[in-house]
Amino acid sequence: MQDVHTASGSEPRNILPQKPKKPKKAYFKLFGTSYKKNDSLVGIGFILPACVLGILFIFVPIAISLTYAFTDMDFTDVGIRPPHFIGFENFRIMFAEDKIIWKALGNTFLFVVVAVPVQLAVALGLALILNMKKLRCNTFFRWAFFMPVMLSLAVTSFLWINLVSRTGLVTVMLEKIGFNMDKLLLENPNTAMGVIIFVSVWQGAGYQMLIFLSGLKNIPPELYEAASLDGASPAKMFLSITLPAIKPTFSFVAVTTLIGAFKLITQPMIMTQGGPDNSTYTMSYFIYDRARNGGKGLGYSSAVAFFYTIVMATIALVLRKLTSGDNTEAK
Amino acid sequence: MENTISTELDEVSVSAKRTKQKRNGTPRENAILAGKITGKTLFYIFLAALCVLFLFPVVWMIANSMKTKEEIDSAMNTFWTFLPSARPANWFQAYGKMFTAYTYFGRSIFNSFLYCGITILAMLVLNSLAGYALTRIVFPGHKVITTIILLLLIVPVETSVVSTYVLLSALGLTRGEASILGYLITGFVSPMYIFMFRSYFMGIPKELEEAAYIDGCGKLRTFFQVIVPCCKPVFATVAIFTFMGQWNEYVFAQLMFSGRQDLMPLQVFLQLVQKGTDASGDMSVTMAALTFGTIPIAIVYIFCQKYIVEGVAFSGLK
Repeated sequence: MQDVHTASGSEPRNILPQKPKKPKKAYFKLFGTSYKKNDSLVGIGFILPACVLGILFIFVPIAISLTYAFTDMDFTDVGIRPPHFIGFENFRIMFAEDKIIWKALGNTFLFVVVAVPVQLAVALGLALILNMKKLRCNTFFRWAFFMPVMLSLAVTSFLWINLVSRTGLVTVMLEKIGFNMDKLLLENPNTAMGVIIFVSVWQGAGYQMLIFLSGLKNIPPELYEAASLDGASPAKMFLSITLPAIKPTFSFVAVTTLIGAFKLITQPMIMTQGGPDNSTYTMSYFIYDRARNGGKGLGYSSAVAFFYTIVMATIALVLRKLTSGDNTEAK
Repeated sequence: MENTISTELDEVSVSAKRTKQKRNGTPRENAILAGKITGKTLFYIFLAALCVLFLFPVVWMIANSMKTKEEIDSAMNTFWTFLPSARPANWFQAYGKMFTAYTYFGRSIFNSFLYCGITILAMLVLNSLAGYALTRIVFPGHKVITTIILLLLIVPVETSVVSTYVLLSALGLTRGEASILGYLITGFVSPMYIFMFRSYFMGIPKELEEAAYIDGCGKLRTFFQVIVPCCKPVFATVAIFTFMGQWNEYVFAQLMFSGRQDLMPLQVFLQLVQKGTDASGDMSVTMAALTFGTIPIAIVYIFCQKYIVEGVAFSGLK
């Protein structure tokens, strides 16, 4: 391969201007293979491993889930039960009979609608505080707010299980203040999702804060100086300088957080397993749980997965469309 | 709200300056200044409260990992719950217990590092080569692949973790040691990182490669000896992100290794430790395991924060 390159080192683009007088085509015919063809081979060779793995582990699973959605396939103790085609039965069950899936969809939307705005607001607020010039102990505060991000989702979930357990600190403290803790927070259908939302915001806000902070730091200070010379009030400056400047960052972070929220699975999987009273089932966990722990089986789970992928894809496309203007600005 | 606070802070400094200039403020001005200072104090109290909210679980976790069961239970009602044991001899008993009670705990840490290492290596090589091919080399299918990658970035397809498992079991990669390969191989290619590499490579001047080409360098050698050294930041960013993602991965590992303690990565092993705590009521071992499991990732965050911020900004906005 290398010899060909050495020999074709006289390709016109790369050398001094007097040479390109020769007809271009002559350079592509060296040693019987055209240079261009060889180039393609190298290109394909570079991308082939990634392509094979990508097709195998991104597209084949999608195809599998699409096919299995129309079968009664399931895991059994001896392996996977061979599938039988059952038409739209799974979809019929999903839309007509299964109540839990709508509960799961509702829970997911509740999580998205509450956790995402709160998390973004907290993150932006913290970033604005940390961006203040007069703030003392800046580094300490930044690390303090960032600390929970260092715990993984699994560690966070296990930690909070213990904090809200019967002997855990939060339970003991709430009891001391006077709350009735006969039902633990994670065992109470009214509060379990609240705990998951709180824990997610607590764990994730620091990360977005860091991104917002880097966005804020990129705003040229001259803008503020000019504005204050013109007599603009700080509130006015915030609305007319800060907000527009971090809008691209904000919309990017918002979209990523939102899509992440739609995929919520680790926290309910570890902390509540969907309970109590199905109040913490999310769609991702529902799909996973239905496939693993029986019920209507893998075929049904695939049907739900297919349905949910379409829901998420639609939402994602709409969001990208809405924020596409911001992203081009950022370029 | 933060905005009004920052306003206050700014005004404090402005009026402070004025006071300095005039040497003596009028009583009215002094009163305003005093009010502002109170506002400032209140603001710092508010910040401190926020800090407590963000930090108390972490402090509690570390403190309780350094106590015995009896010490934890007796201190839960008091401020001592945030401090390690009064007797330094007890500080590391839970950490010792963790390794003796769970034979495979050490192994799970090793597994986590092993899985991270393999994934990082494969991720860097496969995705950077693909990204380079899409940037500089024209070959048939170039455009189609770029479009597909962009599409994959937009459309979330993560609901297929179970179908991935079915595929792996059809390939025979879910049984015994083969499940390690099955678990890892699905994470080797990421459209996002291919795209990230591609964006970065686009910013490298073509002349560099052309110079290498004139000197008789093949494409592969050009890539490894010219491009890679030029693009260390993007490689570092992808490596760090991969490490964080792989170290923290839970759901798929739980699916793949639920029956094999000796193959579990740390995050999944934590579940066994938690079960032990549920049975014995001894929280200290779980807290020790959680603390221990956080140390490596904390080190990465502390030393690589710059790359993380840049990486996020880069992947998102370019």
